[in-house]
Amino acid sequence: MEAIQTADLTKHYRTGLLNKKNINALEKVSLSVEQGSIFGLLGPNGAGKTTFVKLLLSIAFPTSGTASVLGYPIGQRALKEQCGYLPESHKYPGFLTATDTLIFFGRLNGLPETALKDKAKYLLELVGLKDWADVKTKKFSKGMLQRLGLAQALVNDPKLLFLDEPTDGVDPVGRKEIRDILVNLKNAGTTIFLNSHLLSEIEMICDNVAILKKGCVVRTGSIADLTTQKLIYNIQLSAQIPEDTKVNLSHKHFSLEFKDTNLAATLNDKSELNSIIDTLRADGIGIEGVTQQKMSLEDYFIQLMKEENRQ
Amino acid sequence: MRFWGMFRFTIGETIRRGVLIFYFCVATCFLIFFSLGVGQSAENPGVITIFGSEFAHESMPGLNVAEFMLIQLHSSSVFWIVLFGIFGVAGLIPNMLEKGTIDLFLSKPLTRTELLLARSLGAATGIAVNLVYFFAGIWLIFGLKAGVWHWGFLSSVIYVVYAFACLFSIVAVAGLFTRSAGFSILIAFSFVLISWLLELRESLLFLISDNPVYHWILDAFYYITPQFNAMLSNSSRVIGSNPLSLSPPQFTFMPYIYSFFSASLLYGLALWYFSRRDY
Ligand SMILES: Nc1ncnc2c1ncn2[C@@H]1O[C@H](COP(=O)(O)OP(=O)(O)OP(=O)(O)O)[C@@H](O)[C@H]1O
Ligand SMILES: [Mg+2]
Repeated sequence: MEAIQTADLTKHYRTGLLNKKNINALEKVSLSVEQGSIFGLLGPNGAGKTTFVKLLLSIAFPTSGTASVLGYPIGQRALKEQCGYLPESHKYPGFLTATDTLIFFGRLNGLPETALKDKAKYLLELVGLKDWADVKTKKFSKGMLQRLGLAQALVNDPKLLFLDEPTDGVDPVGRKEIRDILVNLKNAGTTIFLNSHLLSEIEMICDNVAILKKGCVVRTGSIADLTTQKLIYNIQLSAQIPEDTKVNLSHKHFSLEFKDTNLAATLNDKSELNSIIDTLRADGIGIEGVTQQKMSLEDYFIQLMKEENRQ
Repeated sequence: MRFWGMFRFTIGETIRRGVLIFYFCVATCFLIFFSLGVGQSAENPGVITIFGSEFAHESMPGLNVAEFMLIQLHSSSVFWIVLFGIFGVAGLIPNMLEKGTIDLFLSKPLTRTELLLARSLGAATGIAVNLVYFFAGIWLIFGLKAGVWHWGFLSSVIYVVYAFACLFSIVAVAGLFTRSAGFSILIAFSFVLISWLLELRESLLFLISDNPVYHWILDAFYYITPQFNAMLSNSSRVIGSNPLSLSPPQFTFMPYIYSFFSASLLYGLALWYFSRRDY
């Protein structure tokens, strides 16, 4: 069974009282997320990442399309019982301590009263807030609130965890700690759905990703699939490339960057590399070395956004 | 369990609001004042003393002094209680709807109906706790120090809390639509004022025009909105009839019954709106 399955999920927001405006936040999004995996949803600001999660948790209602989460159609109580959610902006009642906050959210999840105290203690230790357990949350820093938010999302031992920018405002050590927590959860069988801009983090822990742009899915696949789709080569030359050769090469391959005696090429397959080398050799330019560079998710993402914008 | 979790939380939120802490202090001062002042005469048992001097009306031999005092106390404190109450609870719905709070609440396995009802019931209970503190305090002081155990005075709290629960339906609707505590307070006060004017429509508003349509509209408005003012004034009649007025109005359940329907209607509207909005 898939943890999340959506078909043509669409959301149009209507805003404005007098001059009504339609915002197409999501446009026919069909995604599926495997159980037990870490899934990353990427995309520029306003792409619809948060909206997607809100629809799945019935915080907003879809305009059309269907979705099921853990086998339940959206809107069912049993679905929410098995999900945890860390929203992108989250506020906690300042008059409660960290422990009381977790106890309160545990109650909202319907957990037995007797288990709440131990659960709160365990979770605060897990997210590194052990020493702050009895401090009112109004005294917390941003990163501490973020850690509390993660603990809150874990209070019901969810099967599926939605995290919207979980490491926002957290220091580097804390980010590593959070990543470790997520990987441990995954190993214990939890499915994790991650919205993030931090592509290097996504790359480290996600199995699969989908890229959203203006409400539409533009790519899906595993990180390996996406980042090995294109090859980056650095070619060191014996001399500078004459202008004629540059023009020649640019006709055939548009993603070339020239820098002194260096040529960086982003290519779709190896045969393109050979054709570049042929052209260079034919013009009498010596090749000193060729190195293949691994494409990072960030390189891929930026490249993709450029291509999408060009279209 | 979930419902009660939210309910308990809301009571906590009401009690910890600055306005109600202020109310609590003021109420405590009054209670201390009364506990020092009220007593029983040593020579004439059964006669109330205020700071040592006997309180008896020679001109009205049959006057029940304790009851008279309790009625006066009730009707003069209700105004302040309304003031504090509205300030204390008006923010509850807008606070819940703030970005970052509503996302969390709605992601929990709690239906929107449960959420709003827990919130409303919590608000009414929070107010009840505050009211009971003051009223039960006064009741105890009169009982322990003057030997007057007036159950009617104690039970009048129920009617005030009920009136408040009905008023909260207005606050809930205002909070859901405007999402602002300030607007909710404004609307609640306007409503209290309107409810007071509508109560006086026969002796005041009807004089403006003889047009039967105008009268009919005012009447209709009076019956379809919670009769807040009538409920409050009736609540003091539970204690006893005011001996100072010649033809004292009798206690009637009617405003409570009418208001039950109009408040239900308003809560229905609030639930309908809340259950279909995107947050
Ligand atoms: N409640 C709402 N009412 C109206 N429009 C909304 C609402 N929520 C989101 N939108 C619009 O929907 C679009 C998608 O917003 P969303 O918050 O899903 O983006 P996002 O991908 O999460 O962006 P970010 O990376 O900045 O968090 C935006 O254009 C936004 O203006
Ligand atoms: Mg977002």
